[in-house]
Amino acid sequence: MSNPISSRPYRDLIGAIRPGDWLTVLTTIAVVMVLFDSLWLGETASKVQIRAGNQIHSTLSINQQRVVEVPGPLGITTVVIDHGRARVASDPGARQYCVKQGWLDQAGQVAMCLPNQVSVELLGSRKIHDSLNY
Amino acid sequence: MSRRINFWSLCALWLMVFALSACGREPVYQSQSYVFGTLVDITIYGEEESRAAELASRIQQDFQRLHQKLHAWDESSELSRINRAIAAGESISIDTEMADIIEQAGVFSAASGGLFNPAIGGLIQQWGFQRDSFSAVDIDRKAIDRLVAANPRMEDIRINRKNDGRILLSSRNTAVRLDLGGYAKGYALDRAAAYLKSEQAKNALINIGGNVMALGRHGERPWHIGIQHPRKSGAIASLDLEDGWAIGTSGDYQRYFELDGVRYCHVLDPRSGYPARHLQSVTVLVPPGNLTGTRSDADSKPIFITEPENRKKMAQQLGLTHYMTIDQAGNISVSAAMQKRLQWKTDVKPNILQTLP
Repeated sequence: MSNPISSRPYRDLIGAIRPGDWLTVLTTIAVVMVLFDSLWLGETASKVQIRAGNQIHSTLSINQQRVVEVPGPLGITTVVIDHGRARVASDPGARQYCVKQGWLDQAGQVAMCLPNQVSVELLGSRKIHDSLNY
Repeated sequence: MSRRINFWSLCALWLMVFALSACGREPVYQSQSYVFGTLVDITIYGEEESRAAELASRIQQDFQRLHQKLHAWDESSELSRINRAIAAGESISIDTEMADIIEQAGVFSAASGGLFNPAIGGLIQQWGFQRDSFSAVDIDRKAIDRLVAANPRMEDIRINRKNDGRILLSSRNTAVRLDLGGYAKGYALDRAAAYLKSEQAKNALINIGGNVMALGRHGERPWHIGIQHPRKSGAIASLDLEDGWAIGTSGDYQRYFELDGVRYCHVLDPRSGYPARHLQSVTVLVPPGNLTGTRSDADSKPIFITEPENRKKMAQQLGLTHYMTIDQAGNISVSAAMQKRLQWKTDVKPNILQTLP
């Protein structure tokens, strides 16, 4: 049980790092930063959250092929998830705004089928904004 | 001995890391419901979940109560009862809250030179927008002209507060039909904010059908709000909504129908009786003060309706410093103060970014 920080072998280890090793370390850091930027801070959607009335109906991965039937007061709203994008395929409401909206593929995008009380929101690894003004 | 201490301090460190990661879950409570024919979203930060749920539920109940009271086409609502009395040329007894709402809506209407006009319920019904699920209507020009000629205005309404506590409402114009569609959501925001303050809940975000009001912050950062693009999925810009501020948008993309390739939106110009067609959207940002939520709802309408050359004057008249308009070609104009607050989305290329003084 030795103290890892002050031990002699540890200091020797740092001394043994060669210029090529530093290059590897720096490259690794750069790659991690790029990945962090594109995957973590980026607006790529990773999940689809479907709400029905006052409840969260389901939260699903966007990277799949799936058809979800969501019941509401007027009938069934059909949500299609298609490998990285999602849309409302059909809705019993008269105005059809949420269907006309088409595919959603960015985190923060929302389709609302108000008469049938169903909403579809794409979630990223972080929330783009707390709420939407429309 | 010292080694042993180091071992135990490492263990303690790990325990702390685990404990902190558990604390790291943000104390955010969110509740969603459908009221006022739209989506209501309440987010409360920093309260225990049970208390946040209780606060949100109280607010949702109050919204439901207002929705039933102010419903413009539900026969059983108090507003419908008032409209029937006005049509019959009778005076009717109303409660204090209703009197305050109608008087205040009258003040907003006067400030906008009558462009914000909650007395044109007859026109709104004629256009078929007083329905839960509306579709294209046959445009009855004669009926619209008749309703415009009858000139229903908020000034026609008289509210008489009697000494015995009764309040009587009457209208000198039987064509007045109250529709508080551009007012009730903002009023509800102000009520919710006042209630949360009275309960010492300091951090919350309330969104009623896109009208958003902020209290406090989301922990270490301000609340962050996206502004919906009027023609695309997703936001066109975003901004930090600071404590006490409210934001509202009037657009032609939430309630509209298309007939022969023409889009008819729900915001009607009371002078012509036809939907306003200059703009895709108007967004107003209102600083903390009196009636902030109500202003975020009502004050976007006159800007949406008025002619492009009068927009600046109208904003001045309403005391609006922060606003954005998007015209039918997609050209974006923002006031200088608004521009300072907005973060544009990278894929949005404003054609013209005029800075209005």
